Amino acid sequence: MYRLSRLKYVFPLGLFVSLFLDGALSHVWAPLFFRYPYSMMSELALLWLVLAYFFENGIDIPLIPFAIAAGVVADMYSSGILGLYMVLYPCIVALTQLLAKYFSGSFLSMIMIFFVDVVAFATINYWAYYMVGVTNTNFGDFLAFSLAPTLALNLVYFVVLYWPIQSLFNWATTENKV
Amino acid sequence: MHKFFSNRRLVIIVIILVVCFGLMAGSISLRNRRNTPPLIQQFGNDIVGFADSAVALPVNWLQTSFSSVNDLMNTYSENRELKQQVTELAQTKVRDQTLAHENKQLKQELKLGKSMTDYDTVTAAVLMRTPSSWQQQLVINKGQSSGIKKNMPVMSDGGLIGRIIEVNKTNSKVELLSDTNEASSRFAISIGNKGDQVVNGIVTGYNANRNEIIMGQVSSKAKIKVGTKVITSGMGGITPKGLYVGKVSRIGKDDYGLAQKVYITPAANFNDINIVTVAESASQE
Repeated sequence: MYRLSRLKYVFPLGLFVSLFLDGALSHVWAPLFFRYPYSMMSELALLWLVLAYFFENGIDIPLIPFAIAAGVVADMYSSGILGLYMVLYPCIVALTQLLAKYFSGSFLSMIMIFFVDVVAFATINYWAYYMVGVTNTNFGDFLAFSLAPTLALNLVYFVVLYWPIQSLFNWATTENKV
Repeated sequence: MHKFFSNRRLVIIVIILVVCFGLMAGSISLRNRRNTPPLIQQFGNDIVGFADSAVALPVNWLQTSFSSVNDLMNTYSENRELKQQVTELAQTKVRDQTLAHENKQLKQELKLGKSMTDYDTVTAAVLMRTPSSWQQQLVINKGQSSGIKKNMPVMSDGGLIGRIIEVNKTNSKVELLSDTNEASSRFAISIGNKGDQVVNGIVTGYNANRNEIIMGQVSSKAKIKVGTKVITSGMGGITPKGLYVGKVSRIGKDDYGLAQKVYITPAANFNDINIVTVAESASQE
């Protein structure tokens, strides 16, 4: 039961903290993230959503509504262009759910699924912004200068944060009655 | 698999796609046209801004304390260098004061009001940067209530870094000059040369590989020297005159060999911005 577990507080708090951390880290580590001509997109919020699905231990977190809420905040507050993240976040959650059906729950398959998620996320993001004229980078430059560094950064996030987040979710899901 | 693209699903997907692109295109054009975002969006942004400062301020604080430890290491050599500069600065400051005073008197004599060189400033801290490859955008912690308006120029490190593109009550968004989108900052700038000739133009783009601002379509035949200082020209009436942009780094021809293209190294580092100054032209009021 989602409502009875500690996840009720831990999950939304973690989601929004990771969303804000994306912005704060991009600001603080800008010399690293946006070194010309490379640029990395920090996607902690996406990592949190994906790992929440893997670690929920049978407690059904309403992931899609939360993903939409996080997307609306990201759209309004950080990008100022409505309509992208509020659809993209839930889509990636659905993609994770779809892929997870075909793979075991090992670390390796999780990181592969996250890899596919980030590729899909960054590519759809690029394609949508290309269509509406926010960017005019060509596809080759996108692959080399944006997608590759973004993948590297987010896979490092995944490896570093996998065990901390797992133990956090274990703590939040084991004692159901609070 | 044949179920996946059943009629109903397909229709729903197409509708969602259309709505998404409609929203995106709508919010971009709305942002370019209107002075402030719709009230609901403003309200939401203000609330999120408060929540964000709970995360952003500790992170910023951590970074400043780390970098101040770093600074401590090279304090000695820096101090010696700065001392030399301070003695020069005092002289420049006094001269500046005298000139400003004289300027004011002369303006009064001519019955001239405020001109484009008069401006007020608002100082703000940076809360976050958009975590995206496609938008070079900052959120700062001052908004309408501090007198910030759309399109005001923003400076940091003594150099121009961008303009305000969205204003909420308590925070606003800054688009950096390094943003390459089609509707991004087109500041009117000018370069002076030895012979008192002034070359006017606008910022037409940004070269991310070499970190250079591009001033394109310069048809003037005046000779421009590498290293000349570039300032805003005050044309257009929104940006004050005399904000420092950077130095000329090289001069090339455009694709057709007809006009000159001037490349400018910006004075501010777009990746190291903590405190910004928003300049408000005094002659607007």
